[in-house]
Amino acid sequence: MKYTYFPGCSLLNTAKEYDVSARAVMRELDSELVEIPDWNCCGATAADVVSYLLSLFLPARNLAMAEGMGQEVVATCSSCFLNLYRVNKHLEQNPELKGQLDIVLAEAGLSYSGNLRVRHLLDVIANDIGVKAVAKRAKRRFAGIKVAPYYGCQVVRPYAEFDGPDLPMSMDRLIAALGAETIPYPVKTRCCGGVLMTTQKSIGVKLVADILEPAREADCVVTVCPLCQLNLEAYQREVAGKLGWPVRLPILYFTQFIGLAFGLPEKDLQLSSHLVSAEKLRIAGSREQVAESR
Amino acid sequence: MAEKAFNLTREMLDHSFAETVAPDREKLLTCIQCGTCTASCPTAYAMDYTPRQLWRLIQVGLREEVLKSNTYWLCTNCYSCTIRCPRGISLTETMAALKRLAIAQGLEKPSTIQGRVARFYRSFMDSVRRHGRLHESEFLITYFAHTNPLGLAGQGRLGFNLCRKGKISLAPSEVKKRGDIAAIFRKAQELEAGGAP
Ligand code: SF4
Ligand code: SF4
Repeated sequence: MKYTYFPGCSLLNTAKEYDVSARAVMRELDSELVEIPDWNCCGATAADVVSYLLSLFLPARNLAMAEGMGQEVVATCSSCFLNLYRVNKHLEQNPELKGQLDIVLAEAGLSYSGNLRVRHLLDVIANDIGVKAVAKRAKRRFAGIKVAPYYGCQVVRPYAEFDGPDLPMSMDRLIAALGAETIPYPVKTRCCGGVLMTTQKSIGVKLVADILEPAREADCVVTVCPLCQLNLEAYQREVAGKLGWPVRLPILYFTQFIGLAFGLPEKDLQLSSHLVSAEKLRIAGSREQVAESR
Repeated sequence: MAEKAFNLTREMLDHSFAETVAPDREKLLTCIQCGTCTASCPTAYAMDYTPRQLWRLIQVGLREEVLKSNTYWLCTNCYSCTIRCPRGISLTETMAALKRLAIAQGLEKPSTIQGRVARFYRSFMDSVRRHGRLHESEFLITYFAHTNPLGLAGQGRLGFNLCRKGKISLAPSEVKKRGDIAAIFRKAQELEAGGAP
């Protein structure tokens, strides 16, 4: 199966391991991510604060280019997913908007119908490809590994397109199918603090502490969003100060986790690019492989 | 937070305020003050008005009281309130509209949370306007230079670590057709000039 791919800005830099592992895992699953050439920033949460129309026009240019490519469009970043998806919703609700968008896109020689289906990669892997197909391709089983499945906000809110807005399960099912155990994790869609980690650190650290505290018994957290990943990983020293126990939790993208189970090489996983070492998961996987190949 | 009393027969009320900021004014007026939004909000504990209180202030038209609060600046766009509100009000989008209105009125002071959040988003969008994509290092350096140069030093360790991992590039990745991006920014501004935020 072929999908049109919107990587988004974070995946060029701070989340490049997400991009690399997403492409590799999809390839292993006989699917292809075809990047939109010349895509632009979706506006994240910033565009809407500067201008409502800008927050729709920016992602709409990507949708217009993607529509020309024929396949459904897939985003890896939750914020990108939401912004692309939101264009369709707002076009539906506000008929005046379509005319305005037509004028803007015409300047770029583009047009957009409002009907291209927007997906998140988690939805595609869990539901199109399916948990069974993923489990079948796995070469290792994460026996004895405990995972905190963290979804964050925008992949399921406000548009609960493919899973529940409070207690989604798609990623839990993927993780369990690979032999790991998901811990009960009621904070799985609590906010990671978003930009507050930069603008008001005391609040950001509190929110991340609320998320990491119930993950104390876990071997790692698995997530689907670049900003969540960075917030959960980069401030663990401050969080430890707040919680009073040493916090050293690897924060993996779900594509890295799947890739580990597939036995993909480091160049496709880039585990070494994490600030908190995730090496123990590599070892956990390989020990199982050795056990199985005996 | 301490309760504050307003004498609504004496206060200056802006009866069109709800219309100005709420994408769905009629719905906002149906708020039953149940407090589900506040109970769902991860940052309500740090807000000077809780979300529930803020909607009431908007309903009655206490415009200045709303705009000078820190409430909407602490909204992280988590949409918890929006999906749970029994009235189906577009709460998160209303928080964003308040940010736009405050920025348009020039209310932000650089030393406050208002000023920092506003500057954060502005630096972000300046980078997008220039390159068509966000250039992360340029954006963060601009942001901290304007708000808190010491904060930049505080972020130095993180920046250094990310650089060491090859996760920060100094050269921007750019959209080729930057004319498209310029047109989008220009048209959005033209269409919104004089209109509602
Ligand atoms: S959840 Fe909705 S109805 Fe209840 S107080 Fe909040 S805005 Fe009002
Ligand atoms: S969207 Fe904003 S106001 Fe609503 S719950 Fe989240 S942080 Fe609070």
